[in-house]
Amino acid sequence: MSNSIDVSPKDDDYFSSDDGSTDDTADSHLDLLGKRVRNKKGVKHKDALEAEEMEKAEQKAMEMDRPAEFVPDSVSRIFGYSDFSFLKLKPDHASRPLWINPVDGRIYLESFSPLFEQAQDFLITIAEPVSRPSFIHEYRITTHSLYAAVSVGLETDDIISVLNRLSKVPVAPSVVEFIKQATHSYGKVKLVLKHNHYFVESSQADILRMLLHDEVIGKLRVHTGDSNDADSNDDELERVSPASGLAIGAISGPANSASGPSGPSGPSGPSGPAKSSASAPDPTVEDIYESVIGEGDDGEGDLDTVHAFQISTASVEIVKKRCQEIDYPMLEEYDFRNDLRNPNLEIDLKPSTQIRPYQEKSLSKMFGNGRARSGIIVLPCGAGKTLVGITAACTIRKSAIILCTSSVSVMQWKQQFLQWCTIQPNQVAVFTSESKEMFTGDAGLVVSTYSMVANTRNRSHDSQKVMDFITSREWGFIILDEVHVVPAAMFRRVVTTIAAHAKLGLTATLVREDEKISDLNFLIGPKLYEANWMELSQKGHIANVQCAEVWCPMTSEFYQEYLRENSRKRMLLYIMNPTKFQACQFLIQYHENRGDKIIVFADNVYALQEYALKLGKPFIYGSTPQQERMNILQNFQYNDKVNTIFLSKVGDTSIDLPEATCLIQISSHYGSRRQEAQRLGRILRAKRRNDEGFNAFFYSLVSKDTQEMYYSTKRQAFLVDQGYAFKIITHLHGMENLPNLAYSTPKERRELLQEVLLKNEEAAGVELGEDSENFIGHGVSKRLKTTVSRATKNQSSLSGLAGGEDMAYVEYSRNKNKELSGAHHPFFQKNYYKKKKK
Amino acid sequence: MSAPIQSSSTSSDLFKSTINEYLDNLPEAVHSQLYRSPETCLAIFRLLPSLAKFYIMTLLFQETAIPYADLNRWIKPQKATGHHRNANKIYQNESIKRLKALNLLKEIRKKVKHPTTGKLTTIVFVQLNPIFRQSFRDALTGFRDGIPRDQSEKIAETIEEAEAESEKTLETSSVSSSSGPSLENLFATKFKITVGFLDSYCLAKWENILHFMVGSKIKHYPSIGVLTLLRYSGLMELPSDRRHRQSVDADEDNFVVDDHYIDGERGPPSGEELKSLLITKNGFQFLLQDINSQIWTLLLQYLKMSEKLMMNPVDVLNFIFMLGSLELGEGYPIKVLSDTQLIMLEDLVDYGLIFYPKSENSEDTKGRIFYPTRLATSLTSESTKFKTASTVLNEQISNTDSNQGKIIIETNFKIYCYTTSPLQIAILNLFVHLKIRFANMVTGIVTRESVRGALINGITADQIITYLESHAHPGMVKKAEEKYAKKMEFETSIGNSYTADQIKYEVLPPTVVDQIKLWQLELDRIQTFKGYLYKDFANDFEFEKLLSYGEEIGVIVWRDKIHRKFFVTSDGNAQLIEYANRILRKSASRSVTPST
Repeated sequence: MSNSIDVSPKDDDYFSSDDGSTDDTADSHLDLLGKRVRNKKGVKHKDALEAEEMEKAEQKAMEMDRPAEFVPDSVSRIFGYSDFSFLKLKPDHASRPLWINPVDGRIYLESFSPLFEQAQDFLITIAEPVSRPSFIHEYRITTHSLYAAVSVGLETDDIISVLNRLSKVPVAPSVVEFIKQATHSYGKVKLVLKHNHYFVESSQADILRMLLHDEVIGKLRVHTGDSNDADSNDDELERVSPASGLAIGAISGPANSASGPSGPSGPSGPSGPAKSSASAPDPTVEDIYESVIGEGDDGEGDLDTVHAFQISTASVEIVKKRCQEIDYPMLEEYDFRNDLRNPNLEIDLKPSTQIRPYQEKSLSKMFGNGRARSGIIVLPCGAGKTLVGITAACTIRKSAIILCTSSVSVMQWKQQFLQWCTIQPNQVAVFTSESKEMFTGDAGLVVSTYSMVANTRNRSHDSQKVMDFITSREWGFIILDEVHVVPAAMFRRVVTTIAAHAKLGLTATLVREDEKISDLNFLIGPKLYEANWMELSQKGHIANVQCAEVWCPMTSEFYQEYLRENSRKRMLLYIMNPTKFQACQFLIQYHENRGDKIIVFADNVYALQEYALKLGKPFIYGSTPQQERMNILQNFQYNDKVNTIFLSKVGDTSIDLPEATCLIQISSHYGSRRQEAQRLGRILRAKRRNDEGFNAFFYSLVSKDTQEMYYSTKRQAFLVDQGYAFKIITHLHGMENLPNLAYSTPKERRELLQEVLLKNEEAAGVELGEDSENFIGHGVSKRLKTTVSRATKNQSSLSGLAGGEDMAYVEYSRNKNKELSGAHHPFFQKNYYKKKKK
Repeated sequence: MSAPIQSSSTSSDLFKSTINEYLDNLPEAVHSQLYRSPETCLAIFRLLPSLAKFYIMTLLFQETAIPYADLNRWIKPQKATGHHRNANKIYQNESIKRLKALNLLKEIRKKVKHPTTGKLTTIVFVQLNPIFRQSFRDALTGFRDGIPRDQSEKIAETIEEAEAESEKTLETSSVSSSSGPSLENLFATKFKITVGFLDSYCLAKWENILHFMVGSKIKHYPSIGVLTLLRYSGLMELPSDRRHRQSVDADEDNFVVDDHYIDGERGPPSGEELKSLLITKNGFQFLLQDINSQIWTLLLQYLKMSEKLMMNPVDVLNFIFMLGSLELGEGYPIKVLSDTQLIMLEDLVDYGLIFYPKSENSEDTKGRIFYPTRLATSLTSESTKFKTASTVLNEQISNTDSNQGKIIIETNFKIYCYTTSPLQIAILNLFVHLKIRFANMVTGIVTRESVRGALINGITADQIITYLESHAHPGMVKKAEEKYAKKMEFETSIGNSYTADQIKYEVLPPTVVDQIKLWQLELDRIQTFKGYLYKDFANDFEFEKLLSYGEEIGVIVWRDKIHRKFFVTSDGNAQLIEYANRILRKSASRSVTPST
């Protein structure tokens, strides 16, 4: 056994690989290992490499933990290096809820164990949730998650001892070693913003000295004049008063949890009564657990002297990244109660405001030790992220800036602030392309969009003035809404231009296909809390959703073309598959009859228009003017006649439509897990969610035997790991008998096919904007770029070109959008007809 | 609105019926021979339905025949609610039919004068088969009176059994007084061979066979005899068999291995060849049964094979049934066995039914002793009703309560199975991509590839689902019940009785079940029909006429009006040709070209 420890540091390579390892639903340690090696060597053949790695890994596993007397049995071969049956079960293993995988730090938690609640609270603090369906939850310990654990005040020994208590098998030396390695240096260095200058602080002078000798950080130190020797930085020693407890916001009543240094605050979670009743079956373990956590909090309070050196604002990010690399990640904490320099903001929650337990829990992670930590809170769409942000702002009570993705959500944030707290309307300023207000008084709130703040191009005089104001002052708090959509480059700009003491990122889906998520870890901070979707759904905080994947067989004509075409054109073919159209028509009809309000999503603008026009429904996409958008959305909300709207990807996030109860997705952005989750989020806040037996519906229409099937499975991965089940529907009963069923004759289908084939490849593309790097510059009036003169090659028979194959000019259907606006605005109607006459 | 109850453990009933079927179809002469052995009588008695048992017990000590009508009178008539009465009647008829099929009940027709009217009428009397009656009496009482002991081998064997039984009930001096030299030997070895040893021995043997079936890497392959039997019984097949079967498009159920050495057409496959056997659909079904049924399946196959090998079925059956009444942990001398039975002994050792230690003095073959294992002694016990040896065995295999499931399958297709049994892991490995193993749990994921692998191996989606269902973790069962009750309550509360009836009780996540089924459907997308293509019609009239007639009788599979062609099922072809001939008799030429 002793030699296992000697080998461990090598193994930790897999754990501490922070280059994109947090976003994993499937990477095993092997994948990761393979990836790393591939990165290094690059050229080696993949299969050979994997085989080689497999051997190595097996060997490693053997020498790492396997006791010599372990004899593999007849089935050990199946598991290879993942056979951990040598880990002896503890005698009372039945009452302990989890197993820990010694190789990749994965944790398996029984949700039916009496200790489940406590274990879940603990694991969410120290590990990343991988999947949380009904019975067995999987978590994974990563360096980032441990970083988060340390930042909320847990210490290495606490983590190990609690894990050991909860685990059915002894915690393997490799895991212990990993935790030790990853945490011993965490929490030792802090980044503090004082008087608009950044300081690197530590209670141990030798660590600071070590940092100053670092080749990168050393150079970035800003000498404040009187000290000339790098080594004698004791003169910069500063005393920081110990933290004391505080209450979150102005939450009144018993819900208040963070009340003192030794109180029940901290990662163990809030609301005493609920918790103690849940843990009744095993009081001893609970006590131990509490005491362990409690100690961690007390230790935090003993800080006496602190050493610090200053760095420039511009180099903050470099220093942070460097610190992460050398395993001294910096904690960012804001001791806002003792910040007398920045004026207080008069903001309190209204007494009528109710905070849900999970919102409170997430906030307790943020304000655990009486200071504000920077980090990310992950809550499902519709679970009240806004209120969490507002409560946090009410707790800090300093000037705050809120950044969101679109001007629609800017208005929503402002409105929410006014709704939930006592702030005066003149203290909430909005900074968008339309309005460039500033608040009055010393302190206030600014709500803006990322693009406004990150814009580097020339600004108008007004906005430049506002920007100067924003950059010139020190902010107590910054809320970053929907952090997942914002690329790292933009964040860098935002984070560097705005000097804020504490940062809070809010999102529902911390997954990105391009793995840029891990950047957020040093740009904002660790993930502080991630809610369990299924639990919230069971408690009625978010709607219960029935998910279904509808398989629409390709008609033979379409499939024939599909096999012939290139990949972009293929996309158009499977989206425009007549069977899919029929399925969509049928589902709309069915759900409208049930009284549902339906949103249909299509990424592809061409398809969106085709579908909406043919079915006579209003639609919104990137080029729809703001006025028309608002009009359509209002009609959807309040007009009984408008029960279905079509949205392009502009509707993915931030459009708040609590009326919607049914969602149909006809085309989507390849395999984006995030988009799927965001779209699902549109119906999670359904108003009717608390009705008995209420279900919201989420349909994803896919064309059978096409690439769409593959993407669809990929997209669902995130939701499936949250415990959602996608039912597969292969046949919609009664679809053939639907009156006015579109494309029911071969002739109609051929016509459609001809039309699709005549479209050039551009039409197949998804709408630009919102999502990718070209986020900046997106506004409401953004137009699709279309190249006018571009040679396209179409294949068609001679008779086809001559119109012999059912090609004919047909006026299809009228735009419902126009009708809508016409019905309510005679002015537009007049204009529209005038135009037409010309 | 009773809570749904899982109907599991019907498999052993199923196997009872197959052994019954086998017994029923034996000729009367064989029956008579069989009934000479008291153990066989006892075993057959155990296999009968309870009403039949009742009849036998009633008739057993009746020296004279009784009127058939009495059989009806012994049954209390039920209330005249048609349904129940019918069921009773059916049950009674079934029982009597079985007794007759086994030649246990003999009908005697007698002309009897009516006591009062003096008319001659024929009355049917019934009587037990005299041979059976005698043997069964002996089996129950423990002796056969009037016949001196150690007269023949057969009798010696019988007595040995009787002794063994009496030894079990009362270990008195009567045993020692009747003990011959063989018993001394028995006592000498008795203390070396413990029940525990026998249990672990037979389990190891049996599991080794099962492991071979699921394709685990094993050190000692089962003997060629076992492998041949597995192949012969259709539980496993050689890769060449599979190709052959697919080429002749035969179903596994009715495909017969044709190059078996019994048939003598080709040489038997070598032992090395047999090691490459692959599991079939039936084989997978076999794995899902409890151990008792598994043994019966193999023994029945053994019986069928032994017939071809010209072994005396009476000897074989007698030996099998005799095993059922032997005492676990006791040793029995082989000298009582016939030559056929000695051959069988060797085979049964391979299955783990018998432990047969090599004796030190090899010249004294007759003095050697064999020990039946639990697998053998529990053969004829009624395993489904009581916690008997076989359920105990099942528990030993899984190391948990047999009524407690161990598999959790989540909606994200991940599988967690609480198991320590390599066998169960190996079974799971047939259709799950296993990932990690802990001391008491394995995890894995059901993927398209893993299920496909199983499907290609001939395992069906239904089998996988049934397996998962029958081994579902109690937590899953509880959740399913709660969900069912809740839905039911909701639907009935809003008075929606139609939907209430539609509610299904689903232990497994329905999405997973659907997906597994869809994966199977993916594999067989092409439907084939056998039939005839009609083409080259002379004119539209003929075409239309025939086509419309064909559509009327519903035999048209496909039509192409433009090219005047259609395809007719093979069943409907004759009818259509007849019709065609009728209408074409007038017109000139027949242009029907049948082709396949």
